[in-house]
Amino acid sequence: MSVAVQAVSVLTGWGQGTDALPADAARAAGGRAVIPLGRPALDGDRFRRATRECLLGVAAVDALLRESGIDRDMIRGCSTALLYVTAAAYGSSNQAFIVAEAMRQARTEGGLTEKRPGAVVSGGTYFPYTAPSTMAGEVAIEFELTGPYGILIGGAAATIDALWQAARLIADGRCERALVLAVETFEECADLYSRGRWLVKRPLVEAAACALLVPGARRVRYEAPRTPSALETLARARAGETFACGPLIALALARAAGAADSVTLTGEWRGRRAGLYWE
Amino acid sequence: MTFRATRRHVEPVAIVAAGAVTPLGADLDGFWSGLVTGSDGISMIERFPVDDLRVGRGGEIKKLKPTPQGGRAGCRATQLLLAAAQDLLARAPVSAAPERIAVVVGTALGGVEQLERAVAPTGRVRQAAGALYDSPAHGLARWLGARGPVLTVGTACAAGATALGTGAELLRAGVVDAVIAGGYDGLCRFVMRGFDALRSLTRERVRPFDRRRSGLLLGEAAALVLMTRDEGAGGPRLGRLLGHASASDGSHISAPDPNGRGLEFAVRAALDEAMLTADDIEFVSAHGTGTPLNDRIEAEVLRRTLGQRASRIPVNSIKGALGHSMGAAATLEALTCLLASRDGVVPHTVGLEEPDPVCDLDHVMGSPRAVRPHVSLSTSLGFGGCNAALVLEGAPA
Repeated sequence: MSVAVQAVSVLTGWGQGTDALPADAARAAGGRAVIPLGRPALDGDRFRRATRECLLGVAAVDALLRESGIDRDMIRGCSTALLYVTAAAYGSSNQAFIVAEAMRQARTEGGLTEKRPGAVVSGGTYFPYTAPSTMAGEVAIEFELTGPYGILIGGAAATIDALWQAARLIADGRCERALVLAVETFEECADLYSRGRWLVKRPLVEAAACALLVPGARRVRYEAPRTPSALETLARARAGETFACGPLIALALARAAGAADSVTLTGEWRGRRAGLYWE
Repeated sequence: MTFRATRRHVEPVAIVAAGAVTPLGADLDGFWSGLVTGSDGISMIERFPVDDLRVGRGGEIKKLKPTPQGGRAGCRATQLLLAAAQDLLARAPVSAAPERIAVVVGTALGGVEQLERAVAPTGRVRQAAGALYDSPAHGLARWLGARGPVLTVGTACAAGATALGTGAELLRAGVVDAVIAGGYDGLCRFVMRGFDALRSLTRERVRPFDRRRSGLLLGEAAALVLMTRDEGAGGPRLGRLLGHASASDGSHISAPDPNGRGLEFAVRAALDEAMLTADDIEFVSAHGTGTPLNDRIEAEVLRRTLGQRASRIPVNSIKGALGHSMGAAATLEALTCLLASRDGVVPHTVGLEEPDPVCDLDHVMGSPRAVRPHVSLSTSLGFGGCNAALVLEGAPA
């Protein structure tokens, strides 16, 4: 199974691209628990109700196309696969829906009529945005992607799995190219993360990253290593904790260092580590 | 849409055994006998308040067998998964090294009910961690002692099909020797309120493909299969997974593409992977939610992809009997294909009495049909423009 990485885009709370990453994320965070990434300003009425995580996914693919000079027409249609990964980006919309629903109930039971913040994300219009598949769906709509489709829920190990799946789809001729997209947001659920601060490393850095895989000359091998690769360690040190985005940031760092041909990517999540080796 | 056939050879994967827990019964046998006898698994929801909702009915499982972990089994979703796993393991042991066993499960909701508890003032950290959508899968892997890949597939209501396809890929690539794959979702206030607000739930009964159909009802369930490479599968088995494909609509976040582009791509790609044509399909277990749009589009896609034979291939939907079980639905529909082949009977579509002319297919209605499909097709759709298709072969009688 031979594939190549044609392009990688990275957006993080530190800025756009790998150049924006600090040398030491923990030091640069200065004690901040979450490094947020703003809501992308995208044109179009269609995005009016879209959640921030949906827009970040669209922005990451858009950045990939712009930075590498790829026309939208090239990825449009059923020859491009889309594999989306997130561990927790649905958390904000889920929490907002639950909180708004609780307030709606409280108003109903208490006879309150005043409008409060949060109520706006209750109801049928916003419920679909609680589904992780809606985030990938918005990307598919925006770029008219109608080919093979996958969504994995999990952290960095799931992204390795998604990259492997993308490589399999290309190698088997089921698509001509594959986008592997990861998005993570934390700010709206910062309180929940602060309560579980011994479970997740800090700083939590919001990110969206995307890789475009195409047929190539290098063989790809999938394994389950026990220890992190040098790239995994480097990406965590420079970007911070980015859950599913970690391996894509590592890939971008490897390309920036000119080591795009022979890469060892690993990613860990909930005690399980997966690895992908370009040989 | 132009689908380009690859005609590459893909190894079939053996489906050795299955386990389930559904509103029709506490195990796979209860599910199947309930389907064949036309049981109604829909009732008033009792586990959480529904007084303020337009619709308070659904396919709720009233009694759940206690799991070996007892009260520590975590959220409802994990309990459902463990119940299905217990049923599965009672039928077939998993004979592979722990690090060579993968868990691949699909879900639309994960452990979101835990988030409802976590955000309350009395919420606990454990509940917040359990709210991550992949928590139930990791709970299942721990309970099984599986140390291979643990994947949670999030293609909404098509996830139970995509999970089987993903598991098959792990086997074909030699990454693992056994895969526990399937889907699950529990009913909770979060999803009931959401679908209630969407006005997707019917106040009447669920009537897939019927001209009076007015919406869906939700249900809860879990279904798991044990998959191995076909060449090494000795002993009895339920059948084989011959082909799978998942595809995107790129059309709308919550409604299916009006032309069924993604579903058509998925059906054609799954047939291509199976190296079969429409002529080989003998039964279709349809998504058939009972919503006006879904059923019309699905019928149109089946007529396009199956051609002239579409009017002669038995089609059913199980959602009239147990509701739409979301992440579990597609796995249960795959099992319907395999069990129909095993027993030589296709269950009828509960609630279908007056077929809608725009859904013109060979619907199995009124009573089960004595037919033994060898090769079957299962179709699924979900939020976010997710579509999936499976081509399954029953074990020889």
